[in-house]
Amino acid sequence: MMSEEAVSVPSTNRLYVQEPNSNPNPNTTSNPVKKKRNLPGTPDPDAEVIALSPKSLMATNRFICEICNKGFQRDQNLQLHRRGHNLPWKLRQRTNKEVKKKVYVCPEKSCVHHDPSRALGDLTGIKKHYSRKHGEKKWKCEKCSKKYAVQSDWKAHSKICGTREYKCDCGTLFSRKDSFITHRAFCDALAEENARFGTVSATNPNFMNGNLNNPQTASRIPQISQIFQPEFAGSEPVGNLSADGQRPRLPLWLDPANSQLNSNALMGANSTGSLPAELLQTSPMNMFGSSSHSQQWLNKFPDSSFTGGNLSMSSLPRGLKEEEESKRNLSETITFLYPNSQNPQQNPAHMSATALLQKAAQMGSTRSNPAFNSSSAFGLMSLSSSNVSNFNSYNHHIKNDSQKFIRQPNQTENFSELANTLSSSTPATKVDDGSSSLFSNSFLGTSKNLESLMMPSNSKQGHASVGGLKLLAGTSNESEHSLTRDFLGVGGDASGSFFQQELAKFASMGSAMDLSQYTRHH
Amino acid sequence: MVQEEGSSSVTSSPLQFFPWMPVSPGVGGSPYPWLRELKSEERGLYLIHLLIACANQVALGSIENANIGLEHISHLASPDGDTMQRIAAYFTEALADRMLKGWPGLHKALNSTKISSVSEEILVKRLFFELCPFLKLSYLITNQAIIEAMEGEKMVHIIDLNSSEPAQWINLLQTLSARPEGPPHLRITGIHEQKEVLEQMALRLTEEAEKLDIPFQFNPVVSKLENLDIESLRVKTGEALAVSSVLQLHCLLATDEENQRSPPSTSKNLQKVFHLNQRTLGEWLEKDSSYACNLSPDSALSPLSVSASPRMGSFLTGIWGLSPKLMVVTEQESNHNGLTLMERVLEALNFYAALFDCLESTVSRASMERLKLEKMLFGEEIKNIIACEGTERKERHEKLEKWILRLELAGFGRVPLSYHGRLQATRLLHSYAYDGYKIKDENGCLVICWQDRPLFSISAWRFRRYE
Repeated sequence: MMSEEAVSVPSTNRLYVQEPNSNPNPNTTSNPVKKKRNLPGTPDPDAEVIALSPKSLMATNRFICEICNKGFQRDQNLQLHRRGHNLPWKLRQRTNKEVKKKVYVCPEKSCVHHDPSRALGDLTGIKKHYSRKHGEKKWKCEKCSKKYAVQSDWKAHSKICGTREYKCDCGTLFSRKDSFITHRAFCDALAEENARFGTVSATNPNFMNGNLNNPQTASRIPQISQIFQPEFAGSEPVGNLSADGQRPRLPLWLDPANSQLNSNALMGANSTGSLPAELLQTSPMNMFGSSSHSQQWLNKFPDSSFTGGNLSMSSLPRGLKEEEESKRNLSETITFLYPNSQNPQQNPAHMSATALLQKAAQMGSTRSNPAFNSSSAFGLMSLSSSNVSNFNSYNHHIKNDSQKFIRQPNQTENFSELANTLSSSTPATKVDDGSSSLFSNSFLGTSKNLESLMMPSNSKQGHASVGGLKLLAGTSNESEHSLTRDFLGVGGDASGSFFQQELAKFASMGSAMDLSQYTRHH
Repeated sequence: MVQEEGSSSVTSSPLQFFPWMPVSPGVGGSPYPWLRELKSEERGLYLIHLLIACANQVALGSIENANIGLEHISHLASPDGDTMQRIAAYFTEALADRMLKGWPGLHKALNSTKISSVSEEILVKRLFFELCPFLKLSYLITNQAIIEAMEGEKMVHIIDLNSSEPAQWINLLQTLSARPEGPPHLRITGIHEQKEVLEQMALRLTEEAEKLDIPFQFNPVVSKLENLDIESLRVKTGEALAVSSVLQLHCLLATDEENQRSPPSTSKNLQKVFHLNQRTLGEWLEKDSSYACNLSPDSALSPLSVSASPRMGSFLTGIWGLSPKLMVVTEQESNHNGLTLMERVLEALNFYAALFDCLESTVSRASMERLKLEKMLFGEEIKNIIACEGTERKERHEKLEKWILRLELAGFGRVPLSYHGRLQATRLLHSYAYDGYKIKDENGCLVICWQDRPLFSISAWRFRRYE
């Protein structure tokens, strides 16, 4: 028999015991005085603490009839059964004096409720707790295979299982309204964020699709190269170059167009560490290694650029089909990094720095095309809107003459080397002595020497180098003068002069010779 | 598109393109008047490209080129302009500092008369606490984790690896006093380099504890973290130990060993520049191709790099030896510990861009406090990341995945941060009306993001016996 006292019980004992509220007045079921409940796990300090062994806690049918050995869960039931055997029975009345409150501790030592200060106030509670926490889960839900140790838990769950009514946007299901609301209030995948994401990623296809539009045929290319070569052969005086009235261009190394380094690195830095390495190392090869690629960007060049707009940079097309991976990465990084429109980024005046970085990364990735360098340099420099129209017209002109300037794959390699030197991912080839001496002079020369900014070209291939060297030789004097000015050339001269200087500087660079050819023809 | 007859305009005088440009550029002060015409977005983009290009030149050791780049940037960058301008200002300062280190004499001469004021440093930390939510969130989540771990404990000992902000522990004291089983006996050991800071902490905390009637003890330990003597922490047996590390662990990664690898040292490159004419440029470039922009071959997760830091290893072992019940680590979520300069510059650009954006969104541009915070905290961090190498470089932030590796290697087991803590943190964000911040859960660790850009990571650990 249990050491505990049986609670006195009326005939309706079953009902009574089921009730969570212990009713001091057993005969009344209406208007019960609700007993004050302590907080769970915070027992009444002067309650009697009862520690039951696990066996007794888990025992069912503790009350055994001595005649027939039938087991009963409650003493009252046993007593009633004994009446049937004509045995003396006794149903104890509930004592009228104040019942000392009993609290129970869990027999499991590692359990929090083992401590008397954390005892539980209800026997049924402690039994259920023991089963749940330290017992074996014998009851299993049919629908979802969730297991329970306490039968009532199992029943309660089975009623609810599958009847889920609430689903958060993040995918979590709730059967209860209150838990659903609480979760939803703090859930990350709020609908509005998804909406923002959705609008943003919608813009990506524009970039992606732009890459895929290569309507031009390859037939153009042979023409281009033919036109190009003869023009290239002669040496051009600097004056010619200057007359083209180029926009002030950034020195190649400062030129944002020039470095896929910038864009790729930006993208890479945003995503994984390994990515930029890949892009840097592979993209030059991809861009220029295959002539088909160069054709594609050549084709791209005349058409889609210079469509005007606030930023001519942003309108520059994706010249090259970079390898799928980098494209994918780009789109991933774009989607990943595109800021929420919580920032008023629609208004460029308030563009956040993170948005700018992403934009730069996107732009840079489009500029794997060296022929773009000049145009995008223009784009960069002529950013003010008043320039745009001029620029656009200029570019329009360029577009018409672009065939002359699109280099052969041969020359693309020069740029690739240039790009490579910028990214330093591939070793640079040697430069002719002529150019190197010029460079060394520059290096040791005046400070505002833009030539020195330009990475030396490694153009030794074909006609390019010849023209380049001649240019170098031809323009060295001139460039010396212009060297002392900064590239924006505003020292003393009229604004127009800095174009000339720009061109001169570009001309003096071996790698830039292609650009200067380009400019020369205007 | 206005002018369609391109050819005529092209061959004509360039002035036609810039009719707005003054003929005598001297007028107006800046030699680049057209720069003023740039809209902020364009200027920002321009700055980014300039910065990266300039950093590249610094990495290659081309001082001349870098100088020109810096010159250009200086016309656009400004510490009180928009975010990009500010970022550019601090980055260029850092790059210049790095370049200057190539002339050690110059560098020392310029920096010798700097007055470092303890009160200013404290003020800056406080500004970071107040102007940005990160520290508040970190403290909140740390405290919540502590409370959950210490449920039922009677004696709690907390080690604070950088004890400078009393608000964290005041909050903990208040929460503990409301504990249903009553507050435990609380001991806090605060570590800091400056005695004054610890004295301040002691005062504030004991005052608060008295008010709340919590048995409390504050033990100051004046020490640098790398020189910390575990014995000085006086951890007693029978007390439940918790360690709180808020943006502290990364400085232990500073090691000397980078000198054994081949780092880009500016002085070496300088000499190369001067000897240029003795070699062809191509050769020069070839040799130096290893310096700039060589991204380290996935240094992130190689076990070598993780275990390579002796100080970190011995520190973590020491802490592990104390069998802490809980250790909560808050760190910057960005890889600023790359081997090459360019790696670090790019990562730092993205990270600090987000941080500066945070400030921009909550504090006005004219605010002196914001300026101080940007200059004295972020600016100094940026300078350290970019200009310093070896043991000098303390700001070696790393991403969460690396920290997880490190801590697991050191014998710690992960403790998932509870939903409750995250809930509280999100509520804090709402209550302060911080817009744009988010808290993400990554396998039990929390990451505080600004507009989807993760900025700070919080993870909780416990002593784990090897099985």
